[in-house]
Amino acid sequence: MSTADDRAETDGHAGEASRLPVASAVDERIERLVRRVLTAGLGLSAFLLSTGFIIWAVRGGDMPATVQGPLNAARSLIALDPIGLFSCGLLVLILTPFVRVAGSIVVFLREHDWRFAAVTGLVLVSMGAGLLVGSL
Amino acid sequence: MIVTMILVFLTAVVAGAFGGMLGVGGGMVLIPVVTLFLGVPMKVAIGASIVSVIATSSAAQIVYVRRGLTNTRLGMVLELATSLGAILGGLTAVLLEARVLQGLFGALLLWTAWGMHRGRHTDGAHEAGGVLPQRYLDESTGRTVEYGVRRMPLGMGLSFIAGNVSGLLGVGGGSVKVPVMNLLMNVPLKAAIATSNFAIGVTAATSAAIYYGKGFMDPRVAAPTALGILIGAQIGPRVGARLQSHVLRLVFTLLLLAFAVQMFVSAAR
Repeated sequence: MSTADDRAETDGHAGEASRLPVASAVDERIERLVRRVLTAGLGLSAFLLSTGFIIWAVRGGDMPATVQGPLNAARSLIALDPIGLFSCGLLVLILTPFVRVAGSIVVFLREHDWRFAAVTGLVLVSMGAGLLVGSL
Repeated sequence: MIVTMILVFLTAVVAGAFGGMLGVGGGMVLIPVVTLFLGVPMKVAIGASIVSVIATSSAAQIVYVRRGLTNTRLGMVLELATSLGAILGGLTAVLLEARVLQGLFGALLLWTAWGMHRGRHTDGAHEAGGVLPQRYLDESTGRTVEYGVRRMPLGMGLSFIAGNVSGLLGVGGGSVKVPVMNLLMNVPLKAAIATSNFAIGVTAATSAAIYYGKGFMDPRVAAPTALGILIGAQIGPRVGARLQSHVLRLVFTLLLLAFAVQMFVSAAR
């Protein structure tokens, strides 16, 4: 915790045992990660969804009432089928927060912030359980 | 079909702008409009809403993080509670009668709206001390605001309920988390909105994975919703950061009331 920079100078309860350290260098890295992952995820998703619209508008035809699973969606994407583009666009959107959380774990581990590595690790486990429940 | 898709898209743009401005997912604007006026079935609307909530949250979060409004560590601790709540919400949605929960939630929203309206917010009057201290610049007043988080266990417990509501009804749960953080946890309103928004991405992704896997996602509704919300959410936070807190609070209160009415109507059906 050599990079720890406690930002609460006005704190009137400095002796509080429940107090967690604030490391601004780590927080800046986390904030950069958040911006990059979310921007990339949103950009890719918007690209896939809007391309899907354009292809569907040009080609016309029926659109299924439910999305495809990951494997079928990837196959349809390669074939430039609108349903594949829509499914993949929505999947990218859903997976973006997963990537953000996974990236946070890496940042906290590198900075030896074990407490928050554990917190974000548990968040990812919890999210993974949601993925598992959905696919059952 | 194409006309409905365009109307869904336009609704999503407006819902996205509101969602980004207030730290609510946009679902509480989107769901009533598409089900009441565009004839979209409730379950399809919820599926589309929950995935678009991720889009709103992510787009707004890029702006909030840059402005330093988000307490990322507080957000991560709360995500633990909200994601577990979202799973349980998705599962209990099948077992419990939704109208009972909708009625209870409507009552909770009325109480919250009333509390907000009475001015029991802690904007400007929050104390230092507590855990996970944070500091940000309030652009509407030009002041640097400092605060510490209080009542973490209570906040986590109520965030679990917020996650539960999110998984059940396809909203972000910001309507629960923002007042909890602001009124109980000593977090200033703008920071509470930004931090709630941060946690909403994870919450919504958790339950969206369940809805996707269970076949509640119609691409003809979900795709224009997600795209429209993305565009709308670009506008929301840019306007919201420049608004005075009392304007933001009034809009938020009115929105809570509208949502409460919607919940009671749907519970009474």
